Amino acid sequence: MTCPVLFERLVSMVTREDVENIALLSKLFVPEEELDGLTKSMQEIIDFADTINNAPSADDSFDNINNLSNVFREDEVIPSYSNEEILSNAPEQAEDHFLVRNRE
Amino acid sequence: MGTISKIHEMLTTKQCSCEELAKSYLDQIEKSNGELNAYVNVTADEALATAQTVDKKIASGETIGMLEGVPMTLKDNISTKGIETTCCSKILTGYKPIYNATVWDILSKENSVLLGKTNMDEFAMGSSCETSYFKGAMNPFNTNHVSGGSSGGVASAVGANIAAFGLGSDTGGSIRQPASFCGIVGLKPTYGAVSRYGLIAYASSLDQIGPITKSVEDAAIVFDAISKYDDKDSTSKGYSGTSTYETLNNDIKGMKIGIAKEYLDGIRDDVKEAVLAAAEVYRSLGAEIVYFDLPALKYALPVYYIIACAEASSNLGRYDGIRYGYKTEHYNGTHDMICRTRSEGFGDEVKRRILLGTYVLSAGYYDAYYKKAQNLRGTIVKAFDEAFEKCDVILAPTVPMTAFEKGRAVSDPIETYLTDICTVPVNIAGLPGVSVPCGFNAKGMPIGMQIIGKSFSEAQILNVAYKYQQAAGENFKDTKWGVKL
Repeated sequence: MTCPVLFERLVSMVTREDVENIALLSKLFVPEEELDGLTKSMQEIIDFADTINNAPSADDSFDNINNLSNVFREDEVIPSYSNEEILSNAPEQAEDHFLVRNRE
Repeated sequence: MGTISKIHEMLTTKQCSCEELAKSYLDQIEKSNGELNAYVNVTADEALATAQTVDKKIASGETIGMLEGVPMTLKDNISTKGIETTCCSKILTGYKPIYNATVWDILSKENSVLLGKTNMDEFAMGSSCETSYFKGAMNPFNTNHVSGGSSGGVASAVGANIAAFGLGSDTGGSIRQPASFCGIVGLKPTYGAVSRYGLIAYASSLDQIGPITKSVEDAAIVFDAISKYDDKDSTSKGYSGTSTYETLNNDIKGMKIGIAKEYLDGIRDDVKEAVLAAAEVYRSLGAEIVYFDLPALKYALPVYYIIACAEASSNLGRYDGIRYGYKTEHYNGTHDMICRTRSEGFGDEVKRRILLGTYVLSAGYYDAYYKKAQNLRGTIVKAFDEAFEKCDVILAPTVPMTAFEKGRAVSDPIETYLTDICTVPVNIAGLPGVSVPCGFNAKGMPIGMQIIGKSFSEAQILNVAYKYQQAAGENFKDTKWGVKL
């Protein structure tokens, strides 16, 4: 016999490997010594988020707020910022471009 | 009380010059900011230059607008051209936007005097201002207590009268909660009423800019000024109603004020008593109090955290150390550079929310969390629609408690999330809500109540709030700090 409650808990179990994998997707390094603590705290938050799975399944769709819809305009070229302005906040730049990484 | 109309009157009747006024605010910031930590960047030169422009206009006999020459502040996630805008995160240190947020474009054209940028939880993620890279802003009623968050710096500055008003942003209560904690007024407008262009994004379907002020009248003045349609924000509608200022004093006799039982569950007694006492004030003004159930509310908080974190994980993907802000010093290849930059640049709470957001959006969990949360968002929107068939506005506490002591929020994330329980439903449904002071607890800390209305009913909720301030003005108190006017 299947037990839906147990199944839900299994879905929501956060493991160290989950956290490592999610961190990789999020482009974040989690130091080894913080991994256990973070797994525990993620588990607590996920348990909390899990309370929505006790809600009666609703088929209320939600696709926008206050009847907002997409806004379109003609594709007209209008004055924009200079390269100098756009680059003004770059930590590093080279030859009028953003520098992604130092050359080898 | 240093309200906008009082300052306007002082300037137009030449009781003081705009420059003198700006200097007195800057002096008070200098004296009190060490303890309050409300400001993270004081823009004295810009403030004095604007003040001199206003003085010239006054001297030449020109009429000045209500917000002209009024000393104010902006939360540090609102872009200010050429002025550092950090979101109180290490990852944006040194970032000087090359454009203004539309709200600041409007106010700077009105010659409002920007005193500086104010403290906030890092990327607006927090309820106590303590996740700020620059440490938290403190409560002007007791500096051992937090100012609230995330717009804690604005609330601390306005509560301490080291700014006459400020603009904050509200994703899950970040305007109303700190306003409640600091004994002042905070308006979260309808989603789409105020342009978000230039507001550094946290959760785009929930974020909204709004005023934090000393009085309801001031909130109406500022809202009327900033609620314009903006073609640079594709979610902008502007406020098409009449001026909210004009209708502040409308009679509320016969108006139906609703109280949802769920809003009072788990609320501390002193807060509950103050809100119910306010309901009695409304009854004495001729309003009818109606009670009803709003069961969908119990899912609002997890729905909020799932949606907000999912959107944050996407919005904060842009911080990679390439185009702006902080970049790590030593790295080995592009992937390593981006990961190190982000790991060193973001604080713990921001990382936690990015991870949670990525988790709920990842394959295998998307249906159980994100999709389910979006469905429940629809349920909550519908529940509010139905509630507004029973009443005109809803009265609720703003926060289940008063401002807590510093350090408590950091120790328990879930407990801190619970402080947002009364504020998040409004963001989920895109509704307007205003927090108004409604009393003090035994320790003298302010209590706030919230008036919630239908979409684009700012005129009505501000009218209801104004009537309360007229009847119970004793709950609007100055603190020992700041400029005395």
